[in-house]
Amino acid sequence: MTDNSLLKQYQHQPGVWDEMFSQDGLREHYSNFVSAIEGLPPLEMTHKDETAKKLFMSQGITFTVYNSGEGIEKIFPFDIIPRIITSSEWTQIEAGIKQRLKALNIFLKDIYHSRFIVKDGIIPAHLIYSCPNFLREMVNVEVPYDIYTHVAGVDLIRDNDGQFYVLEDNLRTPSGVSYMLENRSITYRIFPDLLPKNNVRTVKEYPELLFKNLVSVANRQMSNPTVVLLTPGIYNSAYFEHTTLARLMGIELVEGRDLIVDNHIVYMKTTKGLEKVDVIYRRVDDEFIDPLVFRPDSILGVPGIYWAYRKGNVSIVNAMGNGVADDKAIYTYVPDMIKYYLNEEPILKNVPTYDLENIDQRKHVFANMDKMVVKKTNESGGYGMLMGNSATEQQMDEFKKAIEHDPRSFIAQPIISLSSTPCYINGVLQPRRVDLRPYALCGPDGINIVPGGLTRVALKEGSMVVNSSQGGGSKDTWVLA
Amino acid sequence: MLSRVADTIYWLARYMERTNGILQASRTNFIASQDGLQEFGWRPLLVTYTDLSPEEIGEMEFDTSRVLEYLIMDRANGSSAFNYVMQARENARSIQDHITKEVWQCLNDYYHFIRNANIAGELKHGDPVSAIDMIMRQGILYTGTVDNTMTRDEGFTYMNIGKFLERAIQTTDMVSMKLGEFLKDTKNILEGPSMRYLLYTLFGYEIYIKTYKGNFIADNILQLVVYNQHFPHSILYCLERIFKYFERLQADSVAENFDQLNFLIGKTMNNIKYSNVNAKDPEMLSGFLMQTKNEIFEIGSTLSKLYFGNS
Repeated sequence: MTDNSLLKQYQHQPGVWDEMFSQDGLREHYSNFVSAIEGLPPLEMTHKDETAKKLFMSQGITFTVYNSGEGIEKIFPFDIIPRIITSSEWTQIEAGIKQRLKALNIFLKDIYHSRFIVKDGIIPAHLIYSCPNFLREMVNVEVPYDIYTHVAGVDLIRDNDGQFYVLEDNLRTPSGVSYMLENRSITYRIFPDLLPKNNVRTVKEYPELLFKNLVSVANRQMSNPTVVLLTPGIYNSAYFEHTTLARLMGIELVEGRDLIVDNHIVYMKTTKGLEKVDVIYRRVDDEFIDPLVFRPDSILGVPGIYWAYRKGNVSIVNAMGNGVADDKAIYTYVPDMIKYYLNEEPILKNVPTYDLENIDQRKHVFANMDKMVVKKTNESGGYGMLMGNSATEQQMDEFKKAIEHDPRSFIAQPIISLSSTPCYINGVLQPRRVDLRPYALCGPDGINIVPGGLTRVALKEGSMVVNSSQGGGSKDTWVLA
Repeated sequence: MLSRVADTIYWLARYMERTNGILQASRTNFIASQDGLQEFGWRPLLVTYTDLSPEEIGEMEFDTSRVLEYLIMDRANGSSAFNYVMQARENARSIQDHITKEVWQCLNDYYHFIRNANIAGELKHGDPVSAIDMIMRQGILYTGTVDNTMTRDEGFTYMNIGKFLERAIQTTDMVSMKLGEFLKDTKNILEGPSMRYLLYTLFGYEIYIKTYKGNFIADNILQLVVYNQHFPHSILYCLERIFKYFERLQADSVAENFDQLNFLIGKTMNNIKYSNVNAKDPEMLSGFLMQTKNEIFEIGSTLSKLYFGNS
């Protein structure tokens, strides 16, 4: 073995689960990868790092920050060292997510129809009705095959005990899957042969699976229904993803202004006149999708689309109103849902969550605020969040006031020490915190989870916030066969 | 195809063609202006390619470096080459699923290239011809990439209609710009290098030399740039291409829309084909150019109305 300063210099933090190293040294499943890179001179690693950045730039895998008129092109930071997951870990993750989504999907059907779970006292009624994402408009709407959560991105984290916990269920319009695909295609260019030699399972069937599910939820009995992807447009930060998915599935990428509703049927405006649309994979949020029913000032949506949906003339993926199921306060009840609907024990644990409407729990949270992370129940992307260990007294007081004013809008969780993994930063390997978002697809034939996902990295030293809007990056995620 | 997509792809091609036109015209005019020509200046080009007021043109017309920067790099000038490339790329971005990955990457590279400070520096402080050549090479790459990778589908057809429509307008404009010189020319033999530069601007110098063996006669030049069916920048050639490409859309069109536009294109093409302009009658030439340009504009606006759903 050659002397490799790259690995020798690496110091993982005590009390944190490191994905690559255990107390006894390198973890077995990383050994193949490490032996392939440890002989490389530092210059070559840096060269690979630069190549990856260049590839992202030249392929336009960027998002644009618009200030001062001219757009500034940024790439979503990518770390070249992959995160590796063993086959047995994946089996557990896969089973856990499937179980969770099954329960959440039944919950959505239940909550918008009979509401057995409320009547049986499992979830308090006020929690449902006070959720801003509970849509009265969806009550008694029949959705094809009773599927609500066609595409889900469940965020997992690993605590220092090595266990995976579910942090969030993203059931509305989870993004990032294109980075899962692009990260993989960059990896095989900078590390030739490593993927097959490590028996890494492929992720490239994702678009085909998604397309198959989209076609199967069409209401018209025909072999080639018209499926479109509805995007808010080029200024959306996930626009790259929308165009990538549309291209990979060979479907039309439409904006709200391309669609029109006539007599409760959705059409798209083509050079040959109007063409009926059967399935819409929408990446526009509920509140913007129909200005006649939701936000009247929205220009991203299509007037009248809600009624076309309600009448069953068009299928919309994901269903509207899913926000009630991934609300951070409802999240606490997902293990109960699993027991109630499926009569099973949850395979994946929740992060312990304090209900701030409960006076005792609120007291406990206020007394231990430096060990807590406080989140707004209906925000995402790392916004509206307080990390107790790094907050000032003043920030804590502000949050306490806000919580007392409206406890339903907040939850608190003990700070989980996210696992870390080596990242190649400035020519050396440094530990950075990561989470994992696998993407699950629910169709009439069941739930499919592509073996892989997006590993998000908190690139700032010591940070535990992995969201891309807060300085996060990503890694390729290898699931071994 | 979605109307918006067709509209976007058509304008993408027009922007790219116009960029090419501006660059070539700037390149030629730069060389001409350094070639000992009397009364050199940038006025005609500034009139054609910008919306500056006569006073503003007066301020900069003899400052080569400033004009080049304004025409090519100025971000505040909505019709600079820089902004056209940026627009073309924005268009490409919003229809990425209708062009090939290669075309998108090529435009993306072009955009990053023209943004590069080195190019602006070379244009301003170094050799402007090299700088323009380097930029133009990106355009050539784009043309080749489109040709080599794009499926011959509706998108490709709209792209080509846009390209040749824009090119026909450019050629008409460039000939109109030299109209004054035709008027001045009484002997019908142009000794000054001015006509040579018209040919350079339209990429027609070599074909002219091969065809007419070095005598710069105004009528011959007009024959080439208006009527020659093998010269890709002649007005007739462009119209014939538009006609050909448009025919391909028949199956994907509403029948009456197709008939209406087909008639317009055919009429314009034949008006050119069966005209007979010559340099001896500058009045007629001027009228002809004006009429042709208006007819081409009408094709553009009818396409926009009937196929892109714009009113």
